[in-house]
Amino acid sequence: MDFPAINDRRPEGLKEDGTPYRVLIVDDSMFVTKQIGQILTSEGFEIAGIASDGQEAIDKYKELYPNVDLVTMDITMPKMDGVTALEKIMEFDKNAKVVMISALGKQDLVKKSLLLGAKNYIVKPLDRKKVLERIVMSLKK
Amino acid sequence: MRVEYINPFVESAYNVLKEVLNCQVSRGELYLKSTSTPVLGVAALVGLAGDVEGRILFDMSKDTAIKVASVMNGEELKELDDLAKATITELANMITAQAVTKLHDLGFKFDLTPPAIFTGDNMEVTTAEVEALIVPMVIPYGKVEINVAIRERL
Repeated sequence: MDFPAINDRRPEGLKEDGTPYRVLIVDDSMFVTKQIGQILTSEGFEIAGIASDGQEAIDKYKELYPNVDLVTMDITMPKMDGVTALEKIMEFDKNAKVVMISALGKQDLVKKSLLLGAKNYIVKPLDRKKVLERIVMSLKK
Repeated sequence: MRVEYINPFVESAYNVLKEVLNCQVSRGELYLKSTSTPVLGVAALVGLAGDVEGRILFDMSKDTAIKVASVMNGEELKELDDLAKATITELANMITAQAVTKLHDLGFKFDLTPPAIFTGDNMEVTTAEVEALIVPMVIPYGKVEINVAIRERL
């Protein structure tokens, strides 16, 4: 029996060749890191690495490059904030795909990030649909 | 203390709790305390400084905190470990961020401190010279008290 085509849908986290997109998650909250990780792995994405501040994010990105497809970047973090880390990552790789994760009320920083080259942003609280939609959109940009 | 400071926190606590816990939230009776307030067991404290100054406390029992953190993580947590504390911190962040956006829109300008989590038995908090307004939010896992002590900068 033929199943409807909807069942053939490729999980959002897989590329056309069937290998997973690799994501670096940057956030100082263990809770948010875990939440994003769960949403992404459930759709077949691979978590390439986790960083808990801006400096660690840059180091991890350079270490993983070119085997990293996307970064989720928290804005408010200790040591180095997400906007500065974004700027440095864009200097290193102008094709980097970075999605900002923001608390409500940080519109100015979100705008600044988009001007600096962030592909998109997600405002907390995070929900599955919103996270997947924005990340998939950014990968296609 | 002017009641307009607390309303944004109550609204935002209602919205955020409802969204992240996906449950019924009801608002208990608001009350005013000018003396020490007992702390229920787990309290997330956020400080404010600017046009207005003071602090917000999100206060709940340890049992409620563990249940709330379990729901937010989609798994049963057995104790108030680092993940549970990070989860309650994030909850405080989300509620505060939404409330502060409203207060900024009303023209109040101030900065926030990152939340600090206090845990323990028989604690109380005293805010000398600023009375605290407390609004209990009732959820199926217990209650979360929104305890706000803010004044205009003198």
